[in-house]
Amino acid sequence: MADDEDPKEYRWETGYEKTWEAIKEDDDGFLEASVAEIIQRAKRKRQQNKQVNSKLGMMRHLYVVLDCSDAMSAQDLKPTRLLCTLKILENFIEEFFDQNPISQMGIIIMHNKRAERICDLGGNFRKYIKTVNGLTKTALIGEPSLQNGLELALKSLKLLPSHASREILVIMGSLTTCDPSDINKTISMLKHEGVRCSVVGLAAEVHVCRQLANETGVDPPPAAVCLESSLIKMGFPHQMIVEGTEEPLTMCMCHVDSTEEGSKLTTGGYYCPQCYSKYCELPVECRSCGLTLVSAPHLARSYHHLFPAASYREIEFDNQSLNCFACQKIFSEADKQVYLCSNCQQYFCLDCDIFVHDILHTCPGCATNPTTFQMFQSQM
Amino acid sequence: MADNGIGTSHQANTALIQASNLECKNLYDYLRTRPSTLLDRLYNHPAICLAVYRELPEIARQYVIRILFVEQPVPQAVVASWCHQSYSKEHTHVCQVLSDLFVWHEAPIPGGLPGWILNSTFKRNLKTALLGGGKPWSMSSALEADNKARDVSFLDGYSAERWECVLHYMVGSQQQEGISADAVRILLHAGLMKRDEDDGSPVITRQGFQFLLLDRQAQVWHFLLQYLDTVEQRGLDLGECLTFLFQLSFSTLGKDYSTEGMSQGLLIFLQHLREFGLVYQRKRKAGRFYPTRLALNITCSQNKGVPVLEEDAPKGYIIVETNYRVYAYTDSNLQVALLGLFTELLYRFPNVVVGIITRESVRQALRGGITSEQIIGYLKQHIHSQMLSGDNKNALPPTVLDQIKLWELERNRLIYSEGVLYSQFLSQADFNALKQYAQQTGCLIWSNKEKRTMVVNKTGHDDRKKLEIEECVKIYPNIYNRNLPNEIWCDDADHEHCIEAFQRFCPRHFIIDMMFVKSTTWPVCQF
Amino acid sequence: MQKAQNKLAIMACHSKISKFVYPGPGKPLDIRQVDGQYEVFTLVEKTVKQNLMKILTTETSTVYTESLLAGTIAMALCYIARILRTKTPGLKINSRILTVTGSGDSASQYMNYMNVFFTAQKQNVVIDVCALDQHLSLLQQGCDITNGLYLRIPQIQGLLQYLLWVFLPEPPVRQKLVLPPPVKVDYRAACFCHRELIDVGYVCSVCLSIFCKFSPICTTCHTVFKIPGPLTVKSKKKKIKL
Repeated sequence: MADDEDPKEYRWETGYEKTWEAIKEDDDGFLEASVAEIIQRAKRKRQQNKQVNSKLGMMRHLYVVLDCSDAMSAQDLKPTRLLCTLKILENFIEEFFDQNPISQMGIIIMHNKRAERICDLGGNFRKYIKTVNGLTKTALIGEPSLQNGLELALKSLKLLPSHASREILVIMGSLTTCDPSDINKTISMLKHEGVRCSVVGLAAEVHVCRQLANETGVDPPPAAVCLESSLIKMGFPHQMIVEGTEEPLTMCMCHVDSTEEGSKLTTGGYYCPQCYSKYCELPVECRSCGLTLVSAPHLARSYHHLFPAASYREIEFDNQSLNCFACQKIFSEADKQVYLCSNCQQYFCLDCDIFVHDILHTCPGCATNPTTFQMFQSQM
Repeated sequence: MADNGIGTSHQANTALIQASNLECKNLYDYLRTRPSTLLDRLYNHPAICLAVYRELPEIARQYVIRILFVEQPVPQAVVASWCHQSYSKEHTHVCQVLSDLFVWHEAPIPGGLPGWILNSTFKRNLKTALLGGGKPWSMSSALEADNKARDVSFLDGYSAERWECVLHYMVGSQQQEGISADAVRILLHAGLMKRDEDDGSPVITRQGFQFLLLDRQAQVWHFLLQYLDTVEQRGLDLGECLTFLFQLSFSTLGKDYSTEGMSQGLLIFLQHLREFGLVYQRKRKAGRFYPTRLALNITCSQNKGVPVLEEDAPKGYIIVETNYRVYAYTDSNLQVALLGLFTELLYRFPNVVVGIITRESVRQALRGGITSEQIIGYLKQHIHSQMLSGDNKNALPPTVLDQIKLWELERNRLIYSEGVLYSQFLSQADFNALKQYAQQTGCLIWSNKEKRTMVVNKTGHDDRKKLEIEECVKIYPNIYNRNLPNEIWCDDADHEHCIEAFQRFCPRHFIIDMMFVKSTTWPVCQF
Repeated sequence: MQKAQNKLAIMACHSKISKFVYPGPGKPLDIRQVDGQYEVFTLVEKTVKQNLMKILTTETSTVYTESLLAGTIAMALCYIARILRTKTPGLKINSRILTVTGSGDSASQYMNYMNVFFTAQKQNVVIDVCALDQHLSLLQQGCDITNGLYLRIPQIQGLLQYLLWVFLPEPPVRQKLVLPPPVKVDYRAACFCHRELIDVGYVCSVCLSIFCKFSPICTTCHTVFKIPGPLTVKSKKKKIKL
């Protein structure tokens, strides 16, 4: 999320990388073997880079500050910078809510020297995707104002309880910013409030952005020390089915204030346990009593960050086992390395290794072994 | 994906120049045309029941398996309730299919309501195919291990070579040895080739071109259907052959089967199959044979396109670029020839052929009778896996596909219809009445109210003439129909009326001099 | 039987191990057509019988613990992932997992189950559950998450009937047929201290463990919490300021 240049050297200062020499022909003059090897090594490296085992903040409140000035209509990213950014932002929003189901996000745009809040903090990701789609029609005029954008975001983030992580993601396309007063004051205020800012620059690096990112935090986001841990009161609504009777027709609270669709009159929905107001979807924050409503799977989605699957050790293939334990693939000449799980002592192939650690988050060997399947017993 | 011809057989073609297209039947259509006695005999074999079951539509398969183990008839209302309300049309279609194939029939249940019950032979044999407990199939008695066993890749190569012989012969590239006279007869019978008027040698037809562009499974199936049509003439028993064919299609690839116990007719059938590459036998008299991939699952021509899961599906080799260039990574003459049907070949290398799709080349193909869907289907079928792995939806560049379709539509800009022009109506009322009549009978081709002209097709015209004559005769009692059907005559006594009648009903009329012709009748012109 | 291109894999699982029963390890058996049964079916039958026998006879202990179903589903997902990886590009495959089980539910495998369900949802794999004995709320949640069917068989004699009627059609066909409607699933969480379902609970912000009443230390991650009194008052004040 932060700037991607190494402070030590600029790219043009490093020597030539003779990447073509990495591919060698083997005895028969075929390139396939060495190409396959390179692919394997790349896969494995990606795998290893993800083994960051640190405490992560769970409830994240993120503001996305998007630059909508006329610099975004440049066409170096096709079709325009803005459209490209919006498309990628959609994917980001999906991934974000997938990995952090109980977090909240808001969107602010900067144009014409002002900042405008498009979406308030909330957890309904479908709404955000729709909003982002609608942003393709915004007029790209004027210059962005970084300070106004940051201050607007800060206003809402200040009010949040301290157990939640507060973050701002700025996407800048222009090289200038037009601010009403000293931006350094804003930066120090952000630092004081513990708001972490990250900047994605689409044009060249701007000193102010670099300063902002450096002062307020470094990526990836571990749980910062200033995050206070506390017990958050949450509600788990259920359907309240009484045997023999039908559910009453009630209006839902989530659409009461919205201007597009009126409140829906339906029988199904989720009732807040404290005040019995109804909502169509979870997770949501109850408007009447302020209780956060979630359902158990939402919390469960984040558990894999806390209880990750055991990492596998790479071993040279030496006929230790006939096939991969998970997918039953027979090990052949092409598999130079196999992977051993230290907990359950089973062997896996490279693809299963990636699958288990990226998507499944459960080692099949450990899960089917009666001594190792209980993950809650392991110490944090 | 490859169009198996089902769509083409339903093409509504209003053009006068009727294009006859390749009609590929699926198993359902084929069996429907057979007499029910044959079906009864066929259902005695588990293999055929299984094949028929697999070819049924999705919902029909669910219905059948649900009542497979039920002994009593099931009320029709109950069966109708299995299908969701919104799909009730599909339900009726499916019931029709099942009845046509005699898989089930109506049977009353106690209580009077109509019910369905499965055909008992079909039920018994389908259960046998599923669970066992019946007679072994004819070709499977125990064999000792073959010391010269053949593996799958050899069988694949063999079947490809034999089948391509036939295709090469059709295309006319005379490199390999020709095919047997039997095969040529079948090709002629199927309409895929016809005898050239000049020298009597077979020449490929329009349908033949379309056949070439089908995918391999569809080709084999179509070819076999045509073969089965001629089977009776050769003295073989159709039922036996069909049974053997289906048993073959359910066998396991790479295993050998014995020829013990097969009748003479079946052995002849086996030899023909050997020639087309569906089975492999080392020698004519060898006691065992190996089915090849072509024979397996031959009735599965209905599945849309991509054949099997494993790595042994035929590899795609064509890449189409957005600048209309086509690169085909192949060195097979047959495939090059097929490509040459609709592209202009530019270069040929040992492993690549480069061509370009131009308006001329596509038009040449269209003139030969190939449709744009078939060209597109062929390209899609043999597309290189590299192009598929990128974006699943638009594997081929949509610009190229659309342009091919547009080139085809160009030829259909003008539609010729023969008709008769009616003009110079005396009054608007006449015009309107006639136009309405023509519309009702469906023979109106074109009309223009301001100019009071319309075009009616020939049948309408003839009908109308008859109608006019009837009307004329009704109004003017002294006028009658004589000689040619489009002449009316009149007695001289009424010649004023006659003239009025003629002016009204005939666009052109002559009046022969009254003095000269003393006869009692006056001729009238044609109209 | 439905389509020539359908492929099948069968796994068996109990408290000690889970194994692939079909396709079994090693080479497939040599099958001869003997009684009119389609050869592929014969192969499946014989292989399954053989491998099941092996599993049942080698398992000799009498200790009854729960079946490790979550791990077995994880293995099945890896298998499906491999098939999806090695298929020809452009081929569309509907994959589903049918679980037939007589054992009960247990909260100790909760994490594994949840991981497996979310993975199946992401990979578009449908999980169907056929419960023979008890009601399985955890697996029912899984069916709900992945759009599968959950059915509890009332009479065991009708097992074949239920399997054929409900679980045979593949997902695209299911919408055309009338099948048992999905039941509303209870998604309440269970508190970690008593394992009871709760409506309102307290969640630790660091490790997300759920408690039914407030306690100063989180038992899972041992974080110390601030006393709640001033905290809630502070937030109320902030809201009034708005």
